[in-house]
Formats: sequence, C-alpha cells, structure tokens
Amino acid sequence: MSSRRSSSRGNISEDEINELISKLQALLPSSRRRGSGQASTTKLLKETCSYIKSLHREVDDLSDRLSDLMSTMDHNSPGAEIIRSILRS
Amino acid sequence: MASTSSSTPAAEVEERGRKRKRAAGAAEPAAPAQPSKWRTRREHEIYSSKLLEAIRLVRAGPSSSASGAAAPAPPRGWAVREAADRALAVAARGRTHWSRAILASRRRRLQAAHRARPRAPASPSSRHDAAAASASAASASAAAKGTATPPLARKAKVLGRLVPGCRKLSFPTLLAETTDYIAALQMQVRAMTALAEALSAVSATSSSFSPP
Repeated sequence: MSSRRSSSRGNISEDEINELISKLQALLPSSRRRGSGQASTTKLLKETCSYIKSLHREVDDLSDRLSDLMSTMDHNSPGAEIIRSILRS
Repeated sequence: MASTSSSTPAAEVEERGRKRKRAAGAAEPAAPAQPSKWRTRREHEIYSSKLLEAIRLVRAGPSSSASGAAAPAPPRGWAVREAADRALAVAARGRTHWSRAILASRRRRLQAAHRARPRAPASPSSRHDAAAASASAASASAAAKGTATPPLARKAKVLGRLVPGCRKLSFPTLLAETTDYIAALQMQVRAMTALAEALSAVSATSSSFSPP
C-alpha cells in the first residue's frame, strides 16, 4: 500500500497522517450517521477516546454477564459443546 | 457474506510470512495488519474458541494456585475480562504494541502473584509495566515532539493512556495502533455478545427441561 518509508528518519508526511486519521474515522460509529467529510482532528480524537471507553464498559458488562452465566452453567457440561458448535456454524 | 474471507487460511499465513520477510529489512516494523482483518469470519471463529477455552480455565479455579482455600470462588467479572483481553491479544499474533503490552503485563502480574499474595492490584502495576514495555518496544518515540500541536497532544496523551502500551508512541503509530485496537475491541464485543446470548439460551432451555 504505502511503500514510502519516511517513518523514523524525518518528519512523517501529513498525507500519511491524514490517511491514518480517515481510517480511524471510518471505524467510529458517528461517521456512518453523518457521512461527514472532514471533522477536526481534535474532535475526532475526543470521539475516539469516548468510543474506546464505551467499548471497555461494554466488555466489562459482558464479562459480568458471562461470569454469572458461567456459574449457573455448572449443571450442564454438554452446554459448552453445544455452544462451541453454535459458534462455529 | 462469505466473500469477505475468500482467501484460504493457508494462503493468508503464507502471505503474512512473505510480508514479514520483506519488513525484516526495514528499520521499523511495518504498520500493523489491516484492521479489516478483525471483521473476517475466520478471526471471529478463532477468537470465539480461544475465548471459550480461556473462560473454561477461569472457571476451573482461579484460586487453585492460591493459599489453598477449600471453596473455589465463582469466576468474578474481572477474571472473565482478563481472559477475554488475553485471548484478544493472542489473536493479534503479537504484531501490535497493545497486544504485546497486554500479554507482558499479564505475565508480570502472574509472576508477582506466585511470589507474593495472590491478589495483586490490577491497574497501577499493569500501567507501569505497559509503560516499560512500550519504552523498550517503540523506537520512534523521539519523533513524537514535532508532529502534534499542544491541544492535540493532550488528546493524544489521553488516547495513549486508553490503549494499553501506547503511551510513548509517536502520533502516527498511535493512530495506527488505535485503529487496530478499536477494530479488535469491536470483534471482542461481537464475540462476547454471541457467547452470552448462546449461554443464556442454553441455560433457559435446560431450566425448562428440568422437572419442577
């Protein structure tokens, strides 16, 4: 893709930074709604921070939920096999 | 939907091996793998089975190596979170800073737990270790000064604290790491949600079968 290796020697070209930023923006949920061209970088970073925090929270909630489910699942050990087959399909 | 992962896994591995040989000559390792790899069905499956194994290990007894208490405690939420993060870092195949930092901090915490008390504080030690790991891994940290204006640098610092092991990276590297980390987190959420749904469906079914 980008064969220019100007990384550790001199300044990184602004084009590469903009390319990275647009890739990041494509992942954020807000970019799908607005279809905005160029948000300011500061706002983008702030949104990225809050998005990562919300993802962390979601993973924490899911972890709690999974740990509760795991403790109640002790009774049926074939359940794990079923789940693996479900995940594979 | 199957068109996303058209190349066979063997071809993918081969391609990555070729890329790695090419990148071995460069001073700095190439940019981390495309974040779109976290969207492939194959990665999802790999992570799901790793996650299941990790959760099983958690369930088998986190206190088994501890002071020998008689009653095994049920898996706490944070234990599941640790296992999930570790599985995610392993799935990244060690080519990103954040995945290496997660694995390094976890290994150090386990070693500390074996020597001293089993309950070691999670966040301060992991942050400290993450900083040490990133300082040794990132060679481009010297270029950090000239690439970001001050208000941007503040936000970049906050971002660097959020992504594990990325506090001292240069701005472009930080952006690349963040992109990969977000894509990986999204896959983690998808996989854990699917697992939770499946588990609750199973336990609901089994409870309806049990005689009153």
